[in-house]
Amino acid sequence: MTPGIRRGRFILLAAGALLAVSLCAVGFFAVRLVLDRRANGEIAALAAGHDVVVATDARPERLFARLVFLTTRDRFDEAQPLMNRIASSAAPRLAAAAFYDLANARLRVALSHLESNEIDPAVPLVRLAKEGYRRALTLDPGFWDAKYNLDIAMRLVRDFPQIETSGEEIPPEAAKRLWIDLPGVPRGLP
Amino acid sequence: MHAAARSLALILAMALLLLAPIPAGAQLRSVELYAPRPFGHVIGDRLTLSADIVLDVPFQLDPASLPRARPLNYWLELTDVRLTDRGTSGDAQRYALNLTYQIFYAPLEPKRLDIPPLQLLATDGERRVEFVVPGWSFLTSPLREIVSTEQGAAMALRPDAPPPPIPVSGTLRGLLFSLGCVLAALVVLAWHVGWGPFAQRRGRPFARAARAVRAALPSPKTAPSSPAYRQALLSLHRAFDATAGKGVFAEDLPGFFSAHPGFVLVETEIRRLFAASRRLFFGDDLVAATQELPPAELIALAGRLKAVERGGR
Repeated sequence: MTPGIRRGRFILLAAGALLAVSLCAVGFFAVRLVLDRRANGEIAALAAGHDVVVATDARPERLFARLVFLTTRDRFDEAQPLMNRIASSAAPRLAAAAFYDLANARLRVALSHLESNEIDPAVPLVRLAKEGYRRALTLDPGFWDAKYNLDIAMRLVRDFPQIETSGEEIPPEAAKRLWIDLPGVPRGLP
Repeated sequence: MHAAARSLALILAMALLLLAPIPAGAQLRSVELYAPRPFGHVIGDRLTLSADIVLDVPFQLDPASLPRARPLNYWLELTDVRLTDRGTSGDAQRYALNLTYQIFYAPLEPKRLDIPPLQLLATDGERRVEFVVPGWSFLTSPLREIVSTEQGAAMALRPDAPPPPIPVSGTLRGLLFSLGCVLAALVVLAWHVGWGPFAQRRGRPFARAARAVRAALPSPKTAPSSPAYRQALLSLHRAFDATAGKGVFAEDLPGFFSAHPGFVLVETEIRRLFAASRRLFFGDDLVAATQELPPAELIALAGRLKAVERGGR
């Protein structure tokens, strides 16, 4: 009789424990599902063009949706902090896509500047775009669209070893040359 | 890509010749460089070079002389440096050095690029020996035409990556699984406690009676003692009482069968059981009782009653 009772108690305890644990799990997953569904609703709303504000500590997918919303409207100053947050979250694919989209938006603006022959505002945008594509490719070397667009950006404003490697210090003769090459600098009186 | 199409671009550096002034003793045995295919790399590709380095035993590679991951120039970035100590075999100390580079060169036409050689140090505690992991060169390929012949915009960018939704399938699976666990736990509890569809199971008096009968009559072949047989019959009667909810006597059997029609299957045996009980309890005649229902049949009957109670035959 005793082993029977002991076994009965064991079954009771095990079933109770399983019930408690799985109820907790049900609660956890249900809450997460509801939150994720709501976040996906926000993501869809942002994609549809509604200006939904996203908390800065939201999940990277929501930040990314907000980032795309901002970049397609050329609001780069607001997008950059979101980009930094996405980059620091542990989602390399998502971060690569975010870097790529932000760089695309900058490159598009730069191209429209170039079409109307405005070189000066275009150059820093192209440089930032190149940097963005490089970051995207560092995270995901198989990102072909980023490779292609980086190629476009590289041909717009080419990298040169002198500029990249010399860094802060410009050798004096180069500085001299630069100065002389600038148009509109008075070269002394006749 | 690089790992898959790894062809052996093996450069057996007679590195000793390149070395700084060292005595003729060969501290460095060999440096072999394994590289991926030397052509068809495009912007953004990662290349992994691995070098097998063999040193003479007291010498060890100085980890401080390894390069750190950094941009080497405007188009080449060293992204990962990994040194594996392969241990010693004989008097040779082996190392595997994996160098991962990423290229960011946008060529207009296939162009040869060079990965520079690497200076490393080996030391045995006192002497220091410099040696060189040889450089490597490969062909990059362009991705686009020099002048676009495509219809439409010449500078057409590749489209944006759309923002993906948060994946919920994993959460959904977790939810379903935990719901399944809840259900299983509830079923086990209900079965154990006798809730709902398991209510019949509650107590199971005939199951208990069958156990008691077998315990009372351990050897059915031999003639049982009076108390043992008495005990066996009593436990079966108690099971009938518990099942019916009241005392069941031979006169009550028709009522019992109509209330519990499952037991009709064994009606004759049950009647014999009641007859045997009457002989024993009222006539005190063990021999007649065991003739009416021998112990082996009594045990068999207990088993069948248990089966009927469980809902079986």
